[in-house]
Amino acid sequence: MNERIDLPQGTLDLLILKTLALEPQHGWAISERIQQVSSEALRIQQGSLYPALHRLERRGWIKARWGSSLNNRRAKYYGLTVSGRKQLEAEETAWRKLTAAVGQVLETV
Amino acid sequence: MEAEMEEELRAHLENEVAKRVRSGLPVDEARRRAAIEFGGFDQVKEECRDARGVNFIETTLQDLGHSLRVLRRNPGFAATAILTLALGIGATTAIFSVVDTVVLKPLPFPTADRLVRIRSVIAATGNGGVASYPDFLDWRARSHVFDGMAVFETSDLTLIGSGEPLHLQGAVVSAQLFPMLGANPALGRVFMAQEDHPASAGGADPVILSYSLWQREFGSDASALGRSLQLGGRPFTVIGVMPRSFQFPIQGEPIELWTTIAADAGGSQPMTGQRGAHYLDVVGLLKRQVPLPQAEAEMAAIASALNKEYPENKPRTVRIVPEIQGLVGPIRAPLLMLLGAVGCILLIVCANVANLLLARATGRHKEMAIRAALGASRRRVTRQLITETMALGLIGGGIGLVLALALLRLLVQLIPADVPRLGAIGLDGRLLGFSLLISLTAGFLFGLAPALRASKISLSASLTESGRGSGSEGKALARLRSGLVVSEVALAALLLPGAALLMQSFLHLIQLDPGFDPQRVLTFQLDTPPGKQVPWFVREVVASISAVPSVSSASAVASLPLTGDNIRSSIEIEGEPTPVGSRPSADFNAVEPDYFRTLRIPLVMGRDFTERDDSKSTPIVIVNRALADLFFANQNPIGKHIRPGIGNGYGPGEPPMREIVGVIGDVKQDQLSAEASPEVYAPLAQSPFSSLFIVARTANDPNGIVAGARRRLASIDKNVPLYHVETLDQYLARSVAIPRFVTLLLGGFAGFAVLLACLGVYGVMSYTVVRRTHEIGVRIALGASAGKILRGVLGTGVLLASVGVAIGMIASFSLARLLSSVLYGVRATDPAVFVLASFALLVVSGLASYVPARRAARVDPVVALRCE
Repeated sequence: MNERIDLPQGTLDLLILKTLALEPQHGWAISERIQQVSSEALRIQQGSLYPALHRLERRGWIKARWGSSLNNRRAKYYGLTVSGRKQLEAEETAWRKLTAAVGQVLETV
Repeated sequence: MEAEMEEELRAHLENEVAKRVRSGLPVDEARRRAAIEFGGFDQVKEECRDARGVNFIETTLQDLGHSLRVLRRNPGFAATAILTLALGIGATTAIFSVVDTVVLKPLPFPTADRLVRIRSVIAATGNGGVASYPDFLDWRARSHVFDGMAVFETSDLTLIGSGEPLHLQGAVVSAQLFPMLGANPALGRVFMAQEDHPASAGGADPVILSYSLWQREFGSDASALGRSLQLGGRPFTVIGVMPRSFQFPIQGEPIELWTTIAADAGGSQPMTGQRGAHYLDVVGLLKRQVPLPQAEAEMAAIASALNKEYPENKPRTVRIVPEIQGLVGPIRAPLLMLLGAVGCILLIVCANVANLLLARATGRHKEMAIRAALGASRRRVTRQLITETMALGLIGGGIGLVLALALLRLLVQLIPADVPRLGAIGLDGRLLGFSLLISLTAGFLFGLAPALRASKISLSASLTESGRGSGSEGKALARLRSGLVVSEVALAALLLPGAALLMQSFLHLIQLDPGFDPQRVLTFQLDTPPGKQVPWFVREVVASISAVPSVSSASAVASLPLTGDNIRSSIEIEGEPTPVGSRPSADFNAVEPDYFRTLRIPLVMGRDFTERDDSKSTPIVIVNRALADLFFANQNPIGKHIRPGIGNGYGPGEPPMREIVGVIGDVKQDQLSAEASPEVYAPLAQSPFSSLFIVARTANDPNGIVAGARRRLASIDKNVPLYHVETLDQYLARSVAIPRFVTLLLGGFAGFAVLLACLGVYGVMSYTVVRRTHEIGVRIALGASAGKILRGVLGTGVLLASVGVAIGMIASFSLARLLSSVLYGVRATDPAVFVLASFALLVVSGLASYVPARRAARVDPVVALRCE
């Protein structure tokens, strides 16, 4: 079992937004995708996922729509809005700057 | 939303299960593992809802719905709480409405905040308040701080036109008044400055009508403008009509018409030309930005200069008060006091309801614990509880508003009729807003305690504890409830002594001897028609009234007792010449023969006037005991001579010396509670006044002769209406109207407060007994006697009450001085009253604790020990 890495709240938002950048997905698919792409390092529990999704929806960065999933069941799909895309860009930039700076400090000191 | 979330989460779970199945687990195992990892739905849902930051309105509506359900499930509690609240809020709203309309609302003029009353008072005593016209003109000419100054006085006028002669309340004002008030006419125009002077001979002076008069007597016809009227025997022309909402002066009967000061300026020796004739009220419009003290200082300087220029008059100075203060002066303090008292009632009510809620909270803590276990945040629970209590407050407030409107109708009957703006009291926006505010505040206040308590619940303690909460939770709760009861008793103790003092004062007041016998005496006013001689006319009227079968005696007088309607006059005593400006003064009155007998005023010495005392015989007077004691102490006043400064009936020049022929007992001419002033009575035949009171003592009900009197009067002269028909009893009642009103109300409030406080004591003691049933059972089982238990509980109750009484009495004692202005014959800090009130409260609280105490004493130890 991989060790659970605790994700700070802002980071989860970033990951969700990034995941939705390609195409709208439903909740479970989002968590599966993040799990896969991070090579199982990041496992998002639904206890954190859904509140985050609701939060993002309230801020107007994602929008929900009911549709049918792959196995023809009803599922709620979330997609990025225009402002969501802008937010994603901003957060991504901020994240890269942060990690670069932290990395620099870790390298040199 | 709920259903959606449910569905979404379920779908997620199913996917997890499917994933595990795909990786090879059997379905059941997969389901189990997934469920464990998944956790609880509800918590997630709660967090999602929180994350949405939701809809404040949605949550509130949800809470409201829940609150209503809760209330419906506990009808007993709900009814008690709502009823108590309705009473408290209703009473407070009603009193507030009165205070707001009478005292707080600004005057209905655009310039209201700059309007001031300019009072001319005697420098030595501060008495007076009215000015003379020459003084006023000098004030207006010499001052620089006013944008305008106007005089006004009310007068009774008789309108003779078509149909019955009408008696109307009118006002004589300076032309400048209407522009000063910013008042515009509905029709026509207002006065022009030159109309302060009488019209040239043969011309008519202008008159302005009130809206209601125009409607009633002129059929709202625009052609009323320009019409000519006969008022008081003189011709006037209608030049304007005021809007329906206009009223000036605001106090007293509504004014139906306004004429200029020119009305007083006619004749050879008009009142307006006499610097010593002080009879006009003066109102001024301060220039913008001028502070009142500055204006007062300037006016005082002008008055002082006038004193030097005219030394023959008593020195006077000037006081300025904002117009609204002058208007509501005497009723302001009592009304504000009542507002404070009713506020105390509201606080007691809130404490009572809070206690009720706390009692219920004990029974609900399991519900709270379950909620907390299900994930409700503290904030959420608190919020829901506060919503519940606010809902309670709003419902109680709604019913309270209805109650308030009913109470208002009652109040308006009780309030003395001459309180200004009474007619304007009613439902309006401010009142609704106030009611709403109070309801919500009350709801918040008494909900705070239970809500705070509920949010601190520790889960395990609540769920495992016995239903009574006998742990530390219960103790804190008990302390809180005791604290509330102590404050209730304290508030009741605050009000009780005040009410007792007022009651004592009122009893003293009504036992005062007015100096005459007021029973079964009818009075009415009339004006001698112009062209008739007063003595002859009055004699005819009196004779006619005396002839009515049930009248035992009748007479006439210029100023009736208790009306404050006095004429002040200077008095010169024979043999003690003094210059005019420094002569002593006395009240001057004129009467027909038999007046003293009709009113049963005792004749102490000498004789009454007879029909032979007329303008051709020796000038005589009768004085009262106060005057005799003042000027002729230790001497016999009969036969001495004095010269009152009033000479009507004797032509121009100095009035004659008059011989004193009799001394009568003192009569309260002004206030019942004031000392009687020295009085001089002259025969009406020697000192005729055209406006008179006719008095008639009847064998039966005085009101029965009114119709007959009118008929007889009409047969003498059909142009003379009689007005102000009242009995002396009514005058007497009116003179104590304000004290009666305040005493009644404050007494009622104090009684209500005591009742509520007792209910509070009873409630808390019952609760304590129930809470400690187990402990009491143990005690009884161990041998404690019933009497001891009873005394124990009783003692606790009385102890609680004592603390409350002590606090309340101290507060009451320090505030007692505020009452002194409305008390008569009673010292505000009389310790006996406070001691008695304390005792009474303790006894009553003891009684309230007695019932629970008896219940405690009768606890069956077997049952108590078993019940858990």
